[in-house]
Amino acid sequence: MWSLADCRNVFLAVGLMGVMVFSVPSAMVFVRLPGGERFSELYVLGPGRMAEGYPFNVGENESYMVYLGVGNDLGSSAYYVVYVKFRNQTEPSPNATAGVPSSLPPMYEYHVFLEDGESWEQPLTFSFFQVSVAQNRSVVGGLSVDGVTLGVNRPGVWDDENKGYFYELFMELWVYGVASDAFQFHNRFVGLWVNMTAAS
Amino acid sequence: MRCWVSLFAVVLAACTVLSVSWACASGPEEASGAVADAERSLRDAFRVVSDAEAFGANVSGLLDRLNEAGGALTSAGVALAEGNYSGAVGWAGTCRALSEDVSGDADVLKSDAVARAAGWWLTVSFSAVGAGVFVAALFLVWRWFRRTYEGKLLESRPEAVA
Repeated sequence: MWSLADCRNVFLAVGLMGVMVFSVPSAMVFVRLPGGERFSELYVLGPGRMAEGYPFNVGENESYMVYLGVGNDLGSSAYYVVYVKFRNQTEPSPNATAGVPSSLPPMYEYHVFLEDGESWEQPLTFSFFQVSVAQNRSVVGGLSVDGVTLGVNRPGVWDDENKGYFYELFMELWVYGVASDAFQFHNRFVGLWVNMTAAS
Repeated sequence: MRCWVSLFAVVLAACTVLSVSWACASGPEEASGAVADAERSLRDAFRVVSDAEAFGANVSGLLDRLNEAGGALTSAGVALAEGNYSGAVGWAGTCRALSEDVSGDADVLKSDAVARAAGWWLTVSFSAVGAGVFVAALFLVWRWFRRTYEGKLLESRPEAVA
């Protein structure tokens, strides 16, 4: 048989547990548990929604498709803008080390609002127009993104090492800062290198 | 009389031409101004939504509508770049209307969330009262238990034989 002191200890333990159970709702009002790592995702998938089969050798008047996606793990809702830009090998690309975007103007933009933990994915179709290749030089006259055609008039030169006229279609992720009331480059970008050929 | 009728006809025609040109032919300045206004409305709407979310409101539906407004803003930008100024004004108007709608609804959601958040002291009070009642009840049970225990202990004490 238990002694009276043992019984008293059991009562004390039960009392303590009860107080803790009753304090949980109050504790949840005041205590904020630390969240995980905060980050955003920007990705491009091939036509089969896999990280393969990306368009590479591209020609004039042909339509190509990839999937563009954004994921929000910032801990709260976010307002993103994805800028689609186009450059040749000599034009500036974003600099991840310095956290600086490319100075080139965007060809197209997506405005995306996401809750925490949510992601957005959309097909991105593109094609090139008025492509000319001659005497180690190429020119891309027009680029169409999601059916919207824009004049780009982008020259390129023959890359002797990699054997091709290379251009990059790349996307930059910008995020709206509520406190600063401005969009900031989020230091996330993905690019798709294409080898321009005169005719498909 | 005929002079007045002619004058009236000329004024009417001028008004018609002016109003039609005002309604249909938007210039580049007007279009880019409309797109800038739409951008501002969209940012403002998101700020209100973000504020409501910070107070614990469920903003899923509002974000879906903001995505619609964002699509309209993209279309407005494209129309502007293509030189379709009246189209740009139209899309920008759609974006602004959607954004202002969302702002209004987000304000309502925020008020509800603020009212709910203000009830935190009720939670704390219930917790404190609950814990107090539990401890008091346990103390009473302990007293009863101790008395019963001691009583049983006394009953089971071996009696001295004379």
